[in-house]
Amino acid sequence: MTETAVANATPQPPNTQAPILSVQSLAVSFENGRAPRVQAVDGVRMTIYPKQTLAVVGESGCGKSVTALSMLQLIPRPPGRFDRGRIMFRSDRGPVDLLTLGAREIREIRGNEIAMIFQEPMTSLNPVYTIGNQITEAILLHQRVGAAQAREIAIKAMSDVGIPDPERRLKAYPHQFSGGMRQRVMIAMALACQPRLLLADEPTTALDVTIQAQILELITGLKDSRDMAVMLITHDLGVVAENSDVVCVMYAGRVVEYAKVFDLYDAPLHPYTRGLLASIPKMRTKAQTRQHRLVTIREIVDDETQFRQLPGAENGVRPWWPWHKPPADLTPRDEPAGDYDLLEVAPEHWVGVWRTDAVQHRESREPDIGYRVPARA
Amino acid sequence: MAEPDPASTPTPNGASRQWRRNVPGLVGVAFLALLVAACLGSLPWTLTAAASAGGASTVPRYNAGDPSAGRLPPAWWPPDAEQSERLVSLVPAEQLQSIADHYGITADDLLHARNQAATAEAIRSAPKPILGTDVLGRSLLVRCLAGGGISLGIGIAAAGISVIIGTLYGAFAGYVGGKTDAVLMRIVDILYGLPYILLVVLIAVASDALIEEFVSRSGARDAWSSRTVAQISSQISSPTPGPSPRLEGIDLDQPAPADDPFTRALAAELSRETHRTEDQAREQLSRHVDATRGDLLAAAALLARPPREGLASARVFLDVCTLLLAIGGVSWLTMARVIRGQVLSLKGQPFVEAARAAGASPSRIFGRHLLPNLLGPIIVYATLTVPQAILQESFLSFLGIGVKPPLPSWGNLAAEGLSELNSFRSNWWLLLFPCLLLAVSLLALNFVGEGLREAFDPKRARR
Ligand SMILES: Nc1ncnc2c1ncn2[C@@H]1O[C@H](COP(=O)(O)OP(=O)(O)O)[C@@H](O)[C@H]1O
Ligand SMILES: [Mg+2]
Repeated sequence: MTETAVANATPQPPNTQAPILSVQSLAVSFENGRAPRVQAVDGVRMTIYPKQTLAVVGESGCGKSVTALSMLQLIPRPPGRFDRGRIMFRSDRGPVDLLTLGAREIREIRGNEIAMIFQEPMTSLNPVYTIGNQITEAILLHQRVGAAQAREIAIKAMSDVGIPDPERRLKAYPHQFSGGMRQRVMIAMALACQPRLLLADEPTTALDVTIQAQILELITGLKDSRDMAVMLITHDLGVVAENSDVVCVMYAGRVVEYAKVFDLYDAPLHPYTRGLLASIPKMRTKAQTRQHRLVTIREIVDDETQFRQLPGAENGVRPWWPWHKPPADLTPRDEPAGDYDLLEVAPEHWVGVWRTDAVQHRESREPDIGYRVPARA
Repeated sequence: MAEPDPASTPTPNGASRQWRRNVPGLVGVAFLALLVAACLGSLPWTLTAAASAGGASTVPRYNAGDPSAGRLPPAWWPPDAEQSERLVSLVPAEQLQSIADHYGITADDLLHARNQAATAEAIRSAPKPILGTDVLGRSLLVRCLAGGGISLGIGIAAAGISVIIGTLYGAFAGYVGGKTDAVLMRIVDILYGLPYILLVVLIAVASDALIEEFVSRSGARDAWSSRTVAQISSQISSPTPGPSPRLEGIDLDQPAPADDPFTRALAAELSRETHRTEDQAREQLSRHVDATRGDLLAAAALLARPPREGLASARVFLDVCTLLLAIGGVSWLTMARVIRGQVLSLKGQPFVEAARAAGASPSRIFGRHLLPNLLGPIIVYATLTVPQAILQESFLSFLGIGVKPPLPSWGNLAAEGLSELNSFRSNWWLLLFPCLLLAVSLLALNFVGEGLREAFDPKRARR
């Protein structure tokens, strides 16, 4: 440690106290023919700390991928456009706003400081190259090493992600691998350059349940052994409980709830979150089997009383919900998503609310939780 | 037949498995390999000069022939009376004499076919080309081989050009997308709409004029003449008026004796141009006795701007090059469309997105991730473009626009054969063999292309 500190002109001890990345009021929209633009993401805020896993949860189409892709400027523009917001990243060369970087600068960050893995392990590898070829390409893109050295790193990366017999598998083609193995290869490629942030966009959705657990365990383990942060995108709350520190629940392009994982499970505050949690099938004891039917999300979000239970409800603090008429005392700011605010209703527990009179005068921090679940057994 | 594997994918393995079952394709490959080896392999032999009896000849073998041995049928075809007579006359004199002696007749009897057995013997020992000879007594086999080399060579090269243009154009349009793509593809649509044969003819004819200018430099000579006349007319003060054609006040129909002021001025100009002394120039011009001033001017222009070296071979080479460009330049359209479609679908593939997320630059993604995945369709369409190009070359040569005699190609050989087909005597071999070679090789190429397409296309392979 001291050696590297001496070697570096400006010694930077790994600061795990400061966030590595913070998304500030991100708004992204897409052209939609002659119709008005589609606002894919609006006013999204979140913060990620080193060694932390931030889970982003929400149903399909709520803007999870758009948020992650924005961080690497992978949104196709046009039709996409960054309307507002900043994504501050603590890079090796100081803090940068990822949204304003030039093409060359963002390429230096992609795959190097921020890596990304995708949902489709079956098609995310180029069918015409061997596994070894593709991993070494990822290494050679960002590191000044020779071919032999890159091969060494590739073998190391493959054994790190639990691919047996890596030297032989290096010469295999993607079609000779199973889905789980391919996702391991993707992770090996992503981690080959020691990124400081890993964006995992539904990494296990295409895999079966046992493989799913293995892959998530692998990602968590790798996160702990390298000073890496993980943004885990999923629509599966079961996955979230075991593999994350902080949870960000999204709906219709906005954050509706943001809390530590146990706070969220123990005391979900937004009706949508409650609906999500209630709709998870659970093993029940014999005594409980009388209530055997699953509760759906609709049953909860259609229930008006669910929206009057927030702390401060008596003052008119109401959870934001796009299908409801805004409260009468709404005082929107003059900007997109101005009718909405992410309010810290309880310590380190944010909920998306209508920006009513009561909310307007409450002091609210940006969502920012440095919490990490203590070492798991 | 075994049930095709439903899981066959366009991987190298799957492709080769499909490929092995394709009998016409395999036969086609074998035939083409033989034909290409024979035609292209024999080019060094057919294009070089044949040593004739009287010493080394300068005429290439495909062009060397004895006019008296013209229109002989293939060796294995029974000759008719007239052909027999000519065959006998082709037998060397001593051999003829010895055959005549053997049968106890005179050589003259033999030549007039007065003894059947002796004539048959003489015909057996006569030189007989395997595929017969053409009008000028050239071996049809050698001409077909050389013509095949040229036809196949042009076909392959034109297909190569069309593959390069088509791939780059289509891939660029597909990769960039958006308005650029729309404009580029509308251009292709427009070119599709034009009658391509007309385009090829226009390109060939236009380039012909350019070649003419480049090789024989007639334009440059004209320019030199008028410039020189202008120069001289300013020097000669008193031009004589007259009714004959005049240029810049100089009567060009006047005789030009050596002491004529015009002749002297011209010699001075010429000596300046060719870096010789004035005397030498005057000496060169004085060879043209009784010449008019116009004749003298033309002679001087030819000396000042001589045709380029190796005129004939340069013309042949340029001819073939333009033909190649013309065919390649119009047959890339399909290729461009196919490749564009492929790129559009590949662009949306997750592995391209993954490569972008890994920090690969657009050019790297294009060259490393898109192009290798395009190899299948490129190979298939290249194979299907070769027969098309060969057919176009033969068609143009048949019409007299393409490869020009004496350089043979299957197309102009067929055209020659057709002109030799008459009601008096058929000379069928002249038409049959070039056409047969052309037809069979086109068929073989189409089988191979079709086979490759099936091998690379999982949907068709699954039938
Ligand atoms: N390339 C695109 N063009 C147009 N609209 C898009 C594009 N990508 C995403 N969107 C819009 O953004 C919304 C959010 O998409 P996404 O972030 O992919 O959802 P998810 O949460 O399932 O990952 C979608 O509803 C879609 O309408
Ligand atoms: Mg998504």
